[in-house]
Amino acid sequence: MNKKTGWTVMTAGTLALCGLLVLAGCNKKENTEQSNNSMAEQQAQPAPAATPIDPATVATVSGTVKFDGTAPKPSKIDMSQDPACKGGNEAENIVVDGGDLANVFVYVKDGLGSRTFDVPKDAVTLDQQGCKYHPHVLGVMAGQTVDIKNDDQTTHNIHPTPKDNREWNESQPPSSPAIEKNFAREEIMLPVKCNQHPWMKMYINVVKNPFYAVTDKSGKYEIKGLPPGEYTIAFVQEKLGEQDQKVSVAAKESKTVDASFKPAAD
Amino acid sequence: MPEQPIPEQDPITSKSYAAHYVLAIVILIATLFWALWDEAWGQRPWKAFQEQWKTRYSAFLSAATSTSATSEKGVEKNPEYAALNATWKQARDDSAAQAQEARREVDDASARLLAVQSVFTDRRAYVNALSYEIETSTSPSSKASKQKELADYKKEQATVEFPDGSKKQFDFPHLEETYNEIRDERTQRSLELGDVLKPVTAARAKMDEYISDHMVDLTPQQIEGLKKKTADWDPAIVQINVAEANIVDRCESCHMGAREPLKISAAAMMAKGEKKPDEYANSFVSHPEPDLLSIHDPDKFGCSPCHQGNGRATTSVEKAHGNYEHWLWPLYPKENSQAGCQSCHAADMVLVSGDMQWHTINDGKDLFRQKGCMGCHRYEGYDKEPEDLNSIGQQIKQIETQKKSNLKQTAYLMKQADAAESNDEANRLNGQAVDLRVANTKLDGRLQQLDYQSHSLMQDTKKVGPNLKDVRLKLNKNWIPVWLKKPTDFRPTTKMPNFRLTDHQIQAISAYIWQSAFTDPLPKAKSGNAAHGQELFETRGCLACHSIGEGDQLQGGVFAANLTRVGEKANYDYLVRWIHNARERTRPYCPYEKKDIGPEDYAKKGLPYQFDLDHSQCPNDGHELQVQNMTVMPSLRLTPEDAEDIATYLMTQKKQEPSSYVEAAFMDDPSLKAEGKRWVQHFGCSGCHEISGMEDEGRIGTELTYEGSKPIERLDFALFTEVAQRGGKDAEPIKNKEDLARLPDGPAAEPWYNLKGFFEHKLAEPNIYDQGKLKSEIDASRMPNLHLTREQVLDLTTFLMGSAETSLPASYQYKPGDARHDIQDGWWVIKKYNCMGCHQLIPGQTTILMGLKQYQDVQEQLPPKLLTEGARVDPEWLRKFLSNPALNTTDTNRNGVRPYLKVRMPTFSFSDNELRKLVRFFQALSQQPLPYIPEEVPTLTAKETDMARSLFSSSAAPCLKCHATGDPNHDKIATAPNFLLAKERLKPDWVVRWITDPQAVSPGTSMPSGLFKQQNTQWVFAGPTPPSFAGYDKDHRKLLVDYIFQLTAEEQRRVASAMPHAKAAVQPKVNRRQAATETRPAAVGGSR
Repeated sequence: MNKKTGWTVMTAGTLALCGLLVLAGCNKKENTEQSNNSMAEQQAQPAPAATPIDPATVATVSGTVKFDGTAPKPSKIDMSQDPACKGGNEAENIVVDGGDLANVFVYVKDGLGSRTFDVPKDAVTLDQQGCKYHPHVLGVMAGQTVDIKNDDQTTHNIHPTPKDNREWNESQPPSSPAIEKNFAREEIMLPVKCNQHPWMKMYINVVKNPFYAVTDKSGKYEIKGLPPGEYTIAFVQEKLGEQDQKVSVAAKESKTVDASFKPAAD
Repeated sequence: MPEQPIPEQDPITSKSYAAHYVLAIVILIATLFWALWDEAWGQRPWKAFQEQWKTRYSAFLSAATSTSATSEKGVEKNPEYAALNATWKQARDDSAAQAQEARREVDDASARLLAVQSVFTDRRAYVNALSYEIETSTSPSSKASKQKELADYKKEQATVEFPDGSKKQFDFPHLEETYNEIRDERTQRSLELGDVLKPVTAARAKMDEYISDHMVDLTPQQIEGLKKKTADWDPAIVQINVAEANIVDRCESCHMGAREPLKISAAAMMAKGEKKPDEYANSFVSHPEPDLLSIHDPDKFGCSPCHQGNGRATTSVEKAHGNYEHWLWPLYPKENSQAGCQSCHAADMVLVSGDMQWHTINDGKDLFRQKGCMGCHRYEGYDKEPEDLNSIGQQIKQIETQKKSNLKQTAYLMKQADAAESNDEANRLNGQAVDLRVANTKLDGRLQQLDYQSHSLMQDTKKVGPNLKDVRLKLNKNWIPVWLKKPTDFRPTTKMPNFRLTDHQIQAISAYIWQSAFTDPLPKAKSGNAAHGQELFETRGCLACHSIGEGDQLQGGVFAANLTRVGEKANYDYLVRWIHNARERTRPYCPYEKKDIGPEDYAKKGLPYQFDLDHSQCPNDGHELQVQNMTVMPSLRLTPEDAEDIATYLMTQKKQEPSSYVEAAFMDDPSLKAEGKRWVQHFGCSGCHEISGMEDEGRIGTELTYEGSKPIERLDFALFTEVAQRGGKDAEPIKNKEDLARLPDGPAAEPWYNLKGFFEHKLAEPNIYDQGKLKSEIDASRMPNLHLTREQVLDLTTFLMGSAETSLPASYQYKPGDARHDIQDGWWVIKKYNCMGCHQLIPGQTTILMGLKQYQDVQEQLPPKLLTEGARVDPEWLRKFLSNPALNTTDTNRNGVRPYLKVRMPTFSFSDNELRKLVRFFQALSQQPLPYIPEEVPTLTAKETDMARSLFSSSAAPCLKCHATGDPNHDKIATAPNFLLAKERLKPDWVVRWITDPQAVSPGTSMPSGLFKQQNTQWVFAGPTPPSFAGYDKDHRKLLVDYIFQLTAEEQRRVASAMPHAKAAVQPKVNRRQAATETRPAAVGGSR
């Protein structure tokens, strides 16, 4: 009887053990399959496709940027070091005309959520003429091509000094073909200079959405095609810094958002 | 014996023991299973790890395959790949017919060979057997009969049936011949097939190569291989065994992913449904620094030499990591893991691999010098100069004795020779005498070198703190006791630690310092222009070492003193002298006589009272003098007026008036002096400062070279031994808030009875182990509070933990004998003088100046990057430049190479020793051999010169627009060096690389890239070229470089004047400073 009990126990034990092993084996397989699936899911990220915007509902934001205070006298640039440099010789760091502030970059900084946008196929042009950059402040979408032209009878070099993009510095002799470049990452007021003409300076603004503008001579800007929503609009001036304004636009609305900058403290 | 009646209730028969047996059996069986389980799993926890590894890694690989396949497809879309693919297809099609034919022939030959072979091998075996029998048979008769048998057998005809059905008869010799023929034929055919297929395989290899070259990840095939490897894995100990170094590391039995070619993160290794990586996931990650592993091959180095821990243990994670009481070297915690570097790299001041700097250990090494730890604690390699001086002194003595004895021996030999019995004997003795005289000349040469060495070493010996012999000339007397009370109250970032002095100690110490200091007169300086001084201070480069402003306002480096309140403590006249030339000493010191030499000593010998690096011999006995202040502060070659302006500016830097300090009359009390001296000795002040009468004091602290290998019992945790072992609520003994904030991991909660815990607590609050003890002033811990930050405590702790004797053989120590040794040596000098405060030497390294506001928009005003300096400059030129960066002996108030920079390369008065080390360092860092043999620059033909000239001055390559020409009007707007320097300074091949892509040599430079482009195989100018270039088929870059190397001043003037002329952009601001330059000499430092 005793013997019997022993065997029973042993057999039961062995069976239980085998059962466990089998179970463990099964579980393992299951696990593998499941984790396979989850991995595959994780890996398969959708390629960013532009989020469609209903053209019937889009709104417009426009306005004027003012300079609140006595406009500083534009400092004169001495271009005499290079006879090929002719033309306007006033510094463009603060351009004010009757209280209207030009060259302010205005863009939708926040509020678009996870929307993505197609990068325009057309290139924007940055022209070097009269040893100055045209325009002085440029907006471009990340990845969009910038065509850099040299219309001067002198050699320039184009030298962006970005914080979050790659730095480069390339020579462009007179009447050479345009240099095509793009910037991959968002960066506001990315400085560009020419080492040979120390006064030459401009700013490229790289943004991830198409809702941006630069104020013209009369301080005006306009951002079109904005889907209705709550946004933060940023106004950025190279010397005077950034101002943010929250706006809410309804469908088809034309909203006016003005801003005004005070002279810098120093 | 009467039979015992059987009891009615016999327990043996009546009581059932079934329950007992069942219980015993259950226990036994349980034990058996437990034993089996323990054998298989309990003692082998790594098996569970490996099971998990197989599951999780396989899943990971499956996921990786799809991304890999996608990216492979991406690569395949590339037109280059398509071209390769087309080539391959073409080659395959071209050779198809031929290959088929060749393959058929091979197959045919193989079939025939097989047919012959089956018959041949049988018969050959029989022949061999018979031959053996003949050889071994003993009787001649049987031999003869067997021979006959063999001959008959060989003649026998055998039938071979060929694959085409034909049959043929062969005797054995023919059979053998046929067999060999067919075999040769098949070999030949196979070779032919190989030749036919060669272009196809080559094209295929190129395609595969293209894929693996252009894929960031592994190719699907490679991943497939890994999958198979993982699936086939049988649990087994994975071990690295290096017999010569006694390394047995089984770490990879659990850390299976450490060396996998894919980057494995803990998150990717999580089991399904888990939120946080578990123990397994964390252990499967790949080594975070694969580049380090490629330098330190684990098959040679193992794991434990760097990480510590018990590499042999496999029974539990704790044991393997060495975290138990029987193992002396527990695994370095993650944050201290760089301690492992120190065991082989103690001789390296800077550890870099590629562009990766190992900040924790590097900063620890640096802090040990910077914070003056080496002033009290000896550490092999640090502050070597005094020791080297000592050993050189001994060598000199030995050699002098040797010389004397040689002379004596010579005289004796000659005397013997004169009296010799034979001419042969006389000649032999005279010969020996001559040899000894030659030997003495050699010794003289050696002596001379040792003299130079000691001159150099005297020059190289520096102190961390200022010279206190000058305190009377230099300081506001009443400020001294306030400073000693708590230096950080006055200057939060100072190197001077807090000694916790009592008021009485402060009085005695200040009295001694004051009364033992020099009282020599100082020249009076005129008052300067503070605004100009500030401009100079902010632009000349002072901020690379010094800082100004406190807290958030702090600007500049912490290598040298913060000058925010310097106006409260400094004496203006002394400050002017210091800024003009910090090395200028009040009196020279003679280590031989152990005294400061004064004008009276010079007067006695009728010598002028002049001492500098060229006049460094003691007037009394000719011994080498210390003629410089032992500071690393260089000369900026300022005019005396500029020095006055800067000093005037600095004197305005104060928060309170110097006169507001309380009068400290006790400093003149002679009765305090003797006691003061005792305290100065007691606290080891002379470790960091020069102090009268204490020049030869030894270090007061314990040596720390091998502190990390001290057994824990030898570190005195004093009253905290128990709490440190126990951990828990009261484990943290430090109460002071400031000191608590220094602990890298915050207040201790876990047990901290280990080296890390000891060092961290000691560094955070040095007298912590005195707490609760009854100690007299003398017995109390002398170690001052270094007011370290959390990171600094971590860095120093890591450094000390790594300061261990290693059990590895000497060959494992990084002590290279080649040029890499020069790199090692050089870093010590580079760090000593804070070269990296201004210059970038490692790609991506930031300098102090880069971080300053004033350079944000004008990066081109920063000092040059030295990433390829050794490849750029001629080493001989570099030596000259380093000893005189003005490259001019009279006009020194300027930069020799880059006159357009406001920031100035100072004159460091490097000794010959350090010059040699620096030049070798830069050459070695750029893999340049020494001595340098300049490349021959070909002389250009007249036509070529003409072409180069026209390009050089064309509007497409306006070189002279930015490069200085020596014309002062032009050079005001220049932003690059003068070409005339090139010939002596630069290496031509470097210049070619430079003008091809300057941004790759010095990222961010003003010099643009894209000036040249490659057209077919020729490098040509990218812009429009002058007409004379038509038909020129040589390298345009070489042409321009050769032209630059043969450029003369006259040619340069001619070219410059031919260019569209530029007028001076800005009228020069003439102020009294510049005007004064011409009349007053600028400081030249101690340069020789």
